[in-house]
Amino acid sequence: MTTAAEFVAVSRHFGDFTAVDSLDLAIREGALTTLLGPSGCGKTTSLRMLAGYIEPSAGKIMIGGKDHTDAPPEKRDLGMVFQSYALFPHMTVAGNVGFGLKLRKVPRAERARRVAEALELVGLGHLGDRRPKALSGGQQQRVALARAIAIRPRLLLLDEPLSNLDARLRVQMRGEIRRIQAETGLTVVLVTHDQEEALEMSDHMVVMNAGRVMQQGAPDELFPAPANRFVAEFLGYENFLTLPERGLVTVRPELLTVAPGDVGGGETAVSATVRSIAYRGVEVRVALDATTGAGGATTPLVASLRGDALTPEDRAALHPGGRVTVSARPDHLVSLAG
Amino acid sequence: MKRSSPVAASLAVLGYLVMIVPILFVVATAFTEGETLRFPPEGLSLRWFDEATSYQPFTDALLSSLQLALLATVLALAVGIPATLAIMRGRLPGRSLVEGLFLSPLILPELVVGLALFQQLMLQLELDNFQALLIGHTALLLPYAVRVTGASLVLADPALEEAARGLGASPLRTFFTVTLPVLRPGIISAALLSFVTSFNNVPISLLLQSRDFRTLPVTMLDYVQQNYTPIIAAMSTLLLAATVVLAVVAERILGFARIFGGINR
Ligand SMILES: Nc1ncnc2c1ncn2[C@@H]1O[C@H](COP(=O)(O)OP(=O)(O)O)[C@@H](O)[C@H]1O
Ligand SMILES: [Mg+2]
Repeated sequence: MTTAAEFVAVSRHFGDFTAVDSLDLAIREGALTTLLGPSGCGKTTSLRMLAGYIEPSAGKIMIGGKDHTDAPPEKRDLGMVFQSYALFPHMTVAGNVGFGLKLRKVPRAERARRVAEALELVGLGHLGDRRPKALSGGQQQRVALARAIAIRPRLLLLDEPLSNLDARLRVQMRGEIRRIQAETGLTVVLVTHDQEEALEMSDHMVVMNAGRVMQQGAPDELFPAPANRFVAEFLGYENFLTLPERGLVTVRPELLTVAPGDVGGGETAVSATVRSIAYRGVEVRVALDATTGAGGATTPLVASLRGDALTPEDRAALHPGGRVTVSARPDHLVSLAG
Repeated sequence: MKRSSPVAASLAVLGYLVMIVPILFVVATAFTEGETLRFPPEGLSLRWFDEATSYQPFTDALLSSLQLALLATVLALAVGIPATLAIMRGRLPGRSLVEGLFLSPLILPELVVGLALFQQLMLQLELDNFQALLIGHTALLLPYAVRVTGASLVLADPALEEAARGLGASPLRTFFTVTLPVLRPGIISAALLSFVTSFNNVPISLLLQSRDFRTLPVTMLDYVQQNYTPIIAAMSTLLLAATVVLAVVAERILGFARIFGGINR
């Protein structure tokens, strides 16, 4: 694995506030890395430090193995797509896409070819003569993408690229960005607060909170094994309970089984009272209060059952106030650090 | 659009009347055949326009005024635009102080500014009166240049300049290829406003004038103090016509929304 860029103990303070706290992160060449986390956790600040728009308070930014901490943005050769797209209003679409090539003194004919190629790649080959303001939001974003790609950047940086699009377009663009990344072989860093987007798009995802990395890894490694409660909650886990022998564990709602009756006991079975039931077609979601403490303390749990697999006895027990036993396979429980 | 109330509409009409009617009287008297400035005009002729355009103190002063207004506008923009960028985009330490400094001519009485410049520039530094006038007018126009271009800079997306940098443009290159073109409507309106302000200025010009270099408003003011002929009405009418043409051309090129909105989108 080659490293395209690296944060080495990078911090950024704004006055007394620490927006990014000693970030160590390697960006793998040719992969799509997402920075995922709630609003305000330092994703944009990190990306802008990589691009050279914000100076780190401490640490080093390495690009292509060389220290770029003090290099201005124009010396970094990165392609950035801004949340506002930032298309130049006084230039045509082709003028926008060719801007970086002109600065690199690419001869006119080759420039035209590469502009056309970049616009083709984002599916806007026919719109080169338009002004940006004559385009829809989705088209403007594609132009911004083409402009960043046309310079053949060392990294492509995307800050919440899908958040200004409507829901349908957003899902479509996830695939488009993956396709463009595969076709160009570009190294991509994408910032998002949407865990579904990160899971679907990433080769490598980095979950951040309060300026720190909470956990990182490939989506299929990370999702089944969140390291701590924050990551688990952020990835959509809802069930958290403390077991006497294992400490804090989490388990996904669809991995719980609910049986009628009050059998209790056992490491991975607890008795519970049904709080409410929601039928969602195939899925039946059951909210439960599990009796976990000796003094009758309860913990809320959610189980997701398959409606067509329920027996008549199950159905009889599933009403608010019904007593049930909730269990899970030990290997489906994920121990959390806290 | 919201419908205005009848009261507001009548007030607006009244306002226009108060402004326009006296001007119409001036325009009408300019076309008189007689010797005196009076309404209604006696007969109809263009003779006073002939007189006005061939009266050398006026034509000399017109050229002086145009020259001064043009140079002062260019200087005010050349200093004001970078100053605006430094104030609004830069990381100046005493930023509000600097802004205050650039805007202060707006609130100081112009006579005081003129007198101060007269004492400092002409008596102390012994500049000639054109140089002193140029400095005085530039100072007078700076607040307009800073305010109007500043208003359009507020509306411009800072990411535009960042995007240009990221694509490989140096700060200077970014300024010329992105910042200036995006601010162009604001800069043009600042230039128009500055030009007209300088061209019409009396107090500063009055204090810094000399026999060799005198602006048109000051010359006309001098003239009406001595004489009361329709030549002054004819000259005013010509200036009015020129202003209207300028406004129409500006509207054609930019549109008022853009002149006053001040940004290229
Ligand atoms: N220029 C700034 N001045 C002060 N605080 C800032 C500045 N930029 C960002 N912050 C703060 O730093 C934190 C991280 O911001 P940001 O990186 O934009 O978060 P994210 O992109 O993850 O939502 C936020 O709390 C934000 O308010
Ligand atoms: Mg952000």
